[in-house]
Amino acid sequence: MYDNEFFVVDMASCSSTGEIINSLSLALETLNHSGKKIVLKLNDSQLNQSQLLSIQSLVTSYGCILDTIETLNEQTAQVAQNMNILVQKPIEKRVEEKYPQDNKEEFQSFSMNNVTDNSIALKDVNGLHFEADLDEIQRQQDSININSDLVKAGINPQGSFAQIEQQVETKYPSVEEINSITDEFTKSSNNLDDVENLEKNSIGVYKKAYDENALSDDAWEEVDFYETPTDDPVVSDSKNTTYINQTLRSGQILESDGNVVIIGDCHPGSEIRALGDITVWGVLSGIAHAGCKGNLNAKVRALKMNAVQLRIGNCYSRRPDGTNIPYIIRSSIFTPEEARVVDGEIMLFKINQN
Amino acid sequence: MAGSVIVITSGKGGVGKTTTSANIGTALAHMGNKVVLIDTDIGLRNLDLLLGLENRIVYTIVDVVEERCKLKQALVKDKKNPNLCLLAAAQTRDKSAVDADQLKDICEQLKQDFDYVLVDCPAGIEQGFQNAVAGANEAIVVTTPEMSAIRDADRIIGLLESKEGVEKYRLLVNRVRPKLIKSNDMMGVDDVVEILSCDLIGVIPEDTNIITSTNKGEPVVNDEKSLAGKAYLNVARRIMGEDVPLLDIDEPTTLIDKIKKFFATKKAQG
Repeated sequence: MYDNEFFVVDMASCSSTGEIINSLSLALETLNHSGKKIVLKLNDSQLNQSQLLSIQSLVTSYGCILDTIETLNEQTAQVAQNMNILVQKPIEKRVEEKYPQDNKEEFQSFSMNNVTDNSIALKDVNGLHFEADLDEIQRQQDSININSDLVKAGINPQGSFAQIEQQVETKYPSVEEINSITDEFTKSSNNLDDVENLEKNSIGVYKKAYDENALSDDAWEEVDFYETPTDDPVVSDSKNTTYINQTLRSGQILESDGNVVIIGDCHPGSEIRALGDITVWGVLSGIAHAGCKGNLNAKVRALKMNAVQLRIGNCYSRRPDGTNIPYIIRSSIFTPEEARVVDGEIMLFKINQN
Repeated sequence: MAGSVIVITSGKGGVGKTTTSANIGTALAHMGNKVVLIDTDIGLRNLDLLLGLENRIVYTIVDVVEERCKLKQALVKDKKNPNLCLLAAAQTRDKSAVDADQLKDICEQLKQDFDYVLVDCPAGIEQGFQNAVAGANEAIVVTTPEMSAIRDADRIIGLLESKEGVEKYRLLVNRVRPKLIKSNDMMGVDDVVEILSCDLIGVIPEDTNIITSTNKGEPVVNDEKSLAGKAYLNVARRIMGEDVPLLDIDEPTTLIDKIKKFFATKKAQG
């Protein structure tokens, strides 16, 4: 049904063949994609012919074709070539070779054309270290309150969020406590930033959408969002964190003048607008607008990024065509990602495991 | 010359209004017409999904009506065909966000720039329907060969007749299964036309490609092999005023059918 011909499996974190086979069979078992061509990403570990053969037979047994192997190891590459498997260098390496100055803009378009278009990137199967940080936050959740009059339910169903507000309000009454805890929340999210900043392997999946869209070319110049971004952007008061423990469904809007944390999925057709950051502990498939009054430092994080559109400040990007994650895959594997603005463009960064 | 505004309506839900809109729109654009599709199903929009334009929508019809943007800004161009545009419905509002006069106004404006303005009507006969037909001067009533859909179509035709401005309405019979008609398990197209006493604009066979194309966001008329796609192309040509004979929608006889037929005649002879 979904005509993605290629399927990328990232096994770079696996060191031994056993581990690779284990994770690969797990990945192939959870998802249904017989007939697809598999692109296997390996690290620099050395594999001999029998090991590669066993991997190939595993892939074949699930009805797929092992098409390409990405590896740094030359001997593995040699063996693969002998077996008529395409060999290519990992995307990061290729980018380095092509753009030695690390031109991020070009990097984005480059990686888009080569990897993400018409393929589902299945990156890290093995675990979520992001969990640790957010777990901590989740433990603090008991004391985090929500700023109740900021939560606004969409038109349908009426008042569903209002109900949550009431529940939460009766449970957590003290405002000072909230502030201290939300401070901690901000701190821990800053820690997260530090970790991510070490990682340079960004993957820009989202496409700047000012092209080809408008009827006339000058139409886009006039585009501004619901609030016109001013020279003096309204930066959120980080003490305000709206905390929602519910799935956001189609047609529901969540607006906040602080940060937003959602424990649950955001379905297509839903919309989140926040002055500050947006964190979704689940699959983000709707529209997310962080820093909606011009704060370009705002970020959007999600366990799985599948958003139709991402907006940060006055930047705007859309999901490339044909990369919608099918419903089957949605529940099983998570690759936490964060979107932020780099040089006026929204880019996605993997929240890595180490 | 100003273009024509065609509303695609049915009364009953799930008979294929949106699919029809997407396919006729794409087919008309293919033939070189400038086409704009308006989704008036505010709160339950689907047309963008069928065209695969979901990720491109920034402004919707509600934004236009509430003057947050210009009409031209809200038009989303199709991925492949620059002649085709979509004016999407808002997902986070409901039908009352727009009223009939406003939609009529939008249709009038779009008529100047486009050859065809196709309005995808929501199910029902309430506000949404009233909005959608407000600016229309032609209508296509979609129905399936089922009693419930036909009754709703009859009601819709009655409402359309009482509307000023709608000069012409034609019937499109969707999801027809020739095999069932042959075995007398389904009403024939002729019966439907007779019951509704209405001009026929086309017959669309049931086609599994429709499901695939909906999921892909790619209208079925782009698929040359699809029977439904061919039927929609014919409908588009009829809208343009060409005289096209009805498509032969009989399913191709399989080998087994032929063998059965062979034995049946043998038996009869013997």
